[in-house]
Amino acid sequence: MRNLRYLLYIAILIVLLTLPIYTGVYLLNVMDMILIYLALALSWDMLVRSGQISFGMAGLFGVGGYAAALLHLNAGVNPIFSIVLGGLAAGVLAWLIGMAVLQLRGMYFAIVTLALAEIFRLIVRNLPDLTGGPEGTVLPSSIFAGNSTKTYWLVLTVAAVSVMASEIFRRTRIHFALTSIRNDEIVAKSSGIDVFKYLVFIFVITSAIQGIAGGAYAHIYGFVSPEGSFSVDFTLLPIAMALLGGMHSTWGPVVGALLLGVASEFLKLKIPYGHLLVYGLIIVITILFFPQGIVGTIGQKLKKTHTA
Amino acid sequence: MNVFGKLKQSNYQIAIISVILAIILAAWKPHVLVEGIQRACLYAVIALPMALILGIVGIINLAHGDFMMLGAYFAYFLNVYTGMDPLVAIFPALLAFFLIGIATYRAIIKYVLGAPELNQLLLTFGLAMVMEQLANLLWTSRPIKLPLKYVSASATFGSFTFGTFEFVYIGAAIIVLTGLLLFLKRTSTGQAALAVGQNPRGAKLVGIHVDRTYLLIFSLSIALVGAIGAIFMTRHSIFPLVGAPFTMKSFCLIAMAGIGNLTGILWCSLILGLAENFVLSFRGYAGWADLLFFALIVLVIMIRSRQRQVK
Repeated sequence: MRNLRYLLYIAILIVLLTLPIYTGVYLLNVMDMILIYLALALSWDMLVRSGQISFGMAGLFGVGGYAAALLHLNAGVNPIFSIVLGGLAAGVLAWLIGMAVLQLRGMYFAIVTLALAEIFRLIVRNLPDLTGGPEGTVLPSSIFAGNSTKTYWLVLTVAAVSVMASEIFRRTRIHFALTSIRNDEIVAKSSGIDVFKYLVFIFVITSAIQGIAGGAYAHIYGFVSPEGSFSVDFTLLPIAMALLGGMHSTWGPVVGALLLGVASEFLKLKIPYGHLLVYGLIIVITILFFPQGIVGTIGQKLKKTHTA
Repeated sequence: MNVFGKLKQSNYQIAIISVILAIILAAWKPHVLVEGIQRACLYAVIALPMALILGIVGIINLAHGDFMMLGAYFAYFLNVYTGMDPLVAIFPALLAFFLIGIATYRAIIKYVLGAPELNQLLLTFGLAMVMEQLANLLWTSRPIKLPLKYVSASATFGSFTFGTFEFVYIGAAIIVLTGLLLFLKRTSTGQAALAVGQNPRGAKLVGIHVDRTYLLIFSLSIALVGAIGAIFMTRHSIFPLVGAPFTMKSFCLIAMAGIGNLTGILWCSLILGLAENFVLSFRGYAGWADLLFFALIVLVIMIRSRQRQVK
């Protein structure tokens, strides 16, 4: 049974790696977007496992994007290396703000992260000499000179890194620490868990992933702008994806991202201005009717039939 | 928990700060003072219904500003089709949004009352998105504005001219605040609502219909914010995303004043309104005015949490 499962994973991996061979440029571009959202959805979910909900993904995504783009443009850093540095910048920033902000819980944390994302956007917007101001900055060329196969592999790597990070967190003691913090912080504290340290750690890691995703996005499109890179979409859509798929797991956000990513491409063609409406409806309906998400609900059904 | 009670000590502190700010400004930049107070009252009147929901029903309604946006469109279309003045449209808006509030509560909010805070936040977040996108789909994102003559009325003192129509915000803020305080303190329904806000179980034990109280308070707040939309659209252009920033500003004010402190909201919005207009009055720095506000949110919440920990 276990071997079969690993075979399945390897098969999926091979299909994903060789995807460029049997698909066209359009599908690869769609996959690029889906995989970036997948990384964001996973990173959001990893933080939610500790009970802290962040509305500030777009902020760190944008910071990563700007850091990568500006380092490449002004300091001549190699694009791939600059993406990593973008992640690093987002991570360091998250560490700095996390030291203060992670004292907060629940709705206060959520609102403060939302406000911080706006603050980052406004700072970037109001420093035209460094960032190009409201118009943004255009890179001389997109990464790999726009080669869609290489770009796809790059994004696949980013997504794979976040899947691996998420799985590592699921399988090590970090998982127990985060789960107990979520369930009852006082109990967690009295069992000797350094709550604050774990929260800062997970916040930095997830923010770094968001920064890397932002850097990759900036280099793929060769363009950063306050409204584009800090777009509220990068907060909303990943949340909708993780919710739909099912929170507190690796496969929930993955399934959610794939489903919603494909659906949104389709919806964009059908209703160009209203596809976000569907996202809102999905959030509302999921919360009301199956707060466990797709993976969670199916998992529960399976468990029931097993025990029955 | 000291909900909707006596003036807290911090209210006096905040009041003193805003009065000092006002005096400095009056001497230095009088137009900043007048416009700041007008803007502050607009913030306060939008934040008050949200504070009511948060204090009694215990839900952060992230779709709050979007209800105001719908109210603004409601008044606009009433004007277009029946020629009704937006200021008269306040009354049909109250009724219509009371009904919308009932529908929203019954269809959605009721089911997450006992759910974790995260689910409530996400739900109203989703609701906000649905409302914004629906408005976008129905009425496009083009800003619209009614050509009303009376909104540009102005008065002049010596060399100093200011708009007089915006004083309607100050009137609205005072009416809504005193109305709510009277309702909560002088009527038995209001007292019951306060009791529910303090302790739903206890309220249930003494025979208060908790669910009906939630329904009433939620619908009342939505009705108020819808009616404010009608006032808002007289002076401002409206578009689907016009309400969203007000949700954040309202939440900031509530967090600043402390949950349940209605009077404090007025004072806090004075500080915010004056400070914002002050930054706006410098040429070339207008872009930083919004930043000031967001920085204030973060600062206030951090300081509040520090205070709580010390206690």
